[in-house]
Amino acid sequence: MSIIIKQEKKQSFVNAPTAAILSIILPGLGQILARRVQRGLLMFGAMASIIGLLVWRITLLGRLEDGFWPSLFKSLDRAPLFVGFGLLAIAGLWLWIVIDAAKQTNPDKQFGNSIFVLILVVFFTIGWQISEIDLVKLTSDANEAWVPLSKILWPWEAAVTHDTDTVEAGAKVLVDSEGPAPPVPEKSEGEPYLRVSPRKGELSKLDEDNQVIPGTVITVYGENFEPNTRTQIWWSDSIGNEFRPRYQGEYVSVMTDSEGSFEKEMIMPYRLIPPSAKGQQIHEVMARQVSQVGPPLPSQPLILTIELIIETIFMGMMATMFGIIFSVPISFLAARNLMSTSWITLTIYYLTRTVLNIVRAIEPLIWALIAVVWVGLGPFAGIVALTIHSIAALGKLYSEAIEGINPGPIEAIQATGATKLQTIMYAVVPQMIPPFVSFTIYRWDINVRMSTVIGMVGGGGIGFLLVQYIRLLEYKSAGIAVWFIALTVAILDYVSAEIRQKFV
Amino acid sequence: MLEIKNLTKIYPDGTLALDDVSFTVEDGEFLVVIGLSGSGKSTLLRCINRLIDPTKGQIIMDGQDITAAEASELRRIRRKIGMIFQHFNLVDRSSVLTNVLSGKLGYINPWASLLHKYPPGAKKEAMAALEKVGITDQATKRADELSGGQRQRVGIARALMQNPSMMLADEPVASLDPVLAHTILGYLEQLNHESHISVLCSLHYLDLVQRYATKVIGLRDGQVVYRGDREDIRKMTDGQFKEIYGEEAIRVNAGELNQGEQ
Repeated sequence: MSIIIKQEKKQSFVNAPTAAILSIILPGLGQILARRVQRGLLMFGAMASIIGLLVWRITLLGRLEDGFWPSLFKSLDRAPLFVGFGLLAIAGLWLWIVIDAAKQTNPDKQFGNSIFVLILVVFFTIGWQISEIDLVKLTSDANEAWVPLSKILWPWEAAVTHDTDTVEAGAKVLVDSEGPAPPVPEKSEGEPYLRVSPRKGELSKLDEDNQVIPGTVITVYGENFEPNTRTQIWWSDSIGNEFRPRYQGEYVSVMTDSEGSFEKEMIMPYRLIPPSAKGQQIHEVMARQVSQVGPPLPSQPLILTIELIIETIFMGMMATMFGIIFSVPISFLAARNLMSTSWITLTIYYLTRTVLNIVRAIEPLIWALIAVVWVGLGPFAGIVALTIHSIAALGKLYSEAIEGINPGPIEAIQATGATKLQTIMYAVVPQMIPPFVSFTIYRWDINVRMSTVIGMVGGGGIGFLLVQYIRLLEYKSAGIAVWFIALTVAILDYVSAEIRQKFV
Repeated sequence: MLEIKNLTKIYPDGTLALDDVSFTVEDGEFLVVIGLSGSGKSTLLRCINRLIDPTKGQIIMDGQDITAAEASELRRIRRKIGMIFQHFNLVDRSSVLTNVLSGKLGYINPWASLLHKYPPGAKKEAMAALEKVGITDQATKRADELSGGQRQRVGIARALMQNPSMMLADEPVASLDPVLAHTILGYLEQLNHESHISVLCSLHYLDLVQRYATKVIGLRDGQVVYRGDREDIRKMTDGQFKEIYGEEAIRVNAGELNQGEQ
């Protein structure tokens, strides 16, 4: 059967020219008086917000200028395309609205809605400018982003380390003081041997303008080192502080020849000798060969990352468990079908719902900030934050599951003469299991993902480490953390999907 | 024998669902309640096993007042009254066998049943009930894997587990096609004839009523507007039919069953 609905056409209160004039004065007024109230209000609202937004952006662009025209000209100067288009669009829209007002006075006319497309285009243009979208930036500095990004994408060199073996020999020199030079070191068979010449001299100094005055040039001779190996030169001052001298920014080092010997000229480095130093200043020049021995070992960042990813997973687990414990009873209070028996229970229902909605609206990250103040830094703060958010989120999901329960099986089981407990066990629980399992696992998934972030505000877990590495610009270590987070989330996603499929 | 005396049900929102309804169901009768949707059929059936508590009136079954029964007594009464439903009301996620076994819940220790422990003979009994309705091969399937007709048979098997002396059927075939409708009502008739279980059934379609009922009650706006036996219903006139179903009612024959209002 087809249904024909006769709609009474509303006659306009005003004629076409009046409507047009009214819309010139106030966009949309003509439409309202032509009894297209919604259309008129929509147009008025659109025009008002477009003009308001444009004025705001023009004032921002033309700031530091006094008066309307100077600001407008300055803004036109700074963003000619945007301001020009905005002004043109307003003029065009206004004109269109005026014509539309005249048209709408004729009740037989079809609604033309293309004007709203134009309004949308204007809104998107303003949005583009407000959100400071600058496509050029995407390419101009891309190279710089590539350095950290490549380290994060392939961080595995930082994941391994080796035990090291050091071959070392030293020779003493007298610096900046009078007296006999220290003796040449004794040679012993098969041991690495080092001597310097001369064995006394002046260290490099700084003048008033912080310019370096080079010290004495000395020659370092080495024997019996590992052949063909890069050898580091170290310097140890009179109280045994070691450092690696640099020459023109590079650490001083030398290659041994095939015999394991070398000869290297170097300038005695800069070292501040405290005025309180007394007597002869004996420093030591050392040559060191550090070689990797043994199998690759997990590096410190890798070990830390693994430890913290475990912490993170358990944080998510604990938060989910606490969330379940609290949200199950709360969900009954938030289930409308259970709470609609009297006005008291209904009040509790609305109260619970409102609180849940507010708590849920506050992001876990913000709860973590509060929890850090509450229980101090560390994973427990993260657990508190995630638990609070989980209670609210799960409470809502569970209560909706309870509301969606099919009452049919309940009455069928009741009709068999079953007790209340039996009815719950046989008719309610089987219906609750799939949504319960599904929501809980989904929440665990969310909690683990969130706990990677929550560390950034001090809530423990891997996020804490990640932020540290990023701040120290250790992108490779950060990359290891990122990889482990991605891996964990992916595995969790797969596992939770599998489990959900089994139960639902 | 079941006696309904002056039964009235007013819902909290003020709806008068049953208005001073009285009738009796003799043992072994196949009584059909007819009437439009909203005429009070479902409420009437649910009052009998007190899934809905009546506002006024008495329901007396074999001399015992059901309306006055305490909780534990009510459970004993309920287990003698099987019930099947329009939407079958099976627990979808449980197996067919578990659904059938749940018919036994009124007889067994509640604590044991929480662990899904049944007395030794129960499973055999459940298989026998499934055999009666011809679906033993579906026993291990999940209830939601079955077709509509099969699910209603599970519903009947579940009711049979109660070893009932009376069967309530709330529009048992309204969600099924005509052929299946006859199969399901055939099972009820078989129980009625062979096991002398009284059947109290609500139906929509006149030709099903004419085929199966031994006694008919017509409800309209909660009041009994028609009483008749098998002979009366065969001779039922359009006038009487309209009395029950309202002026717009038209007779539908079996071929048009599915296009009728539900």
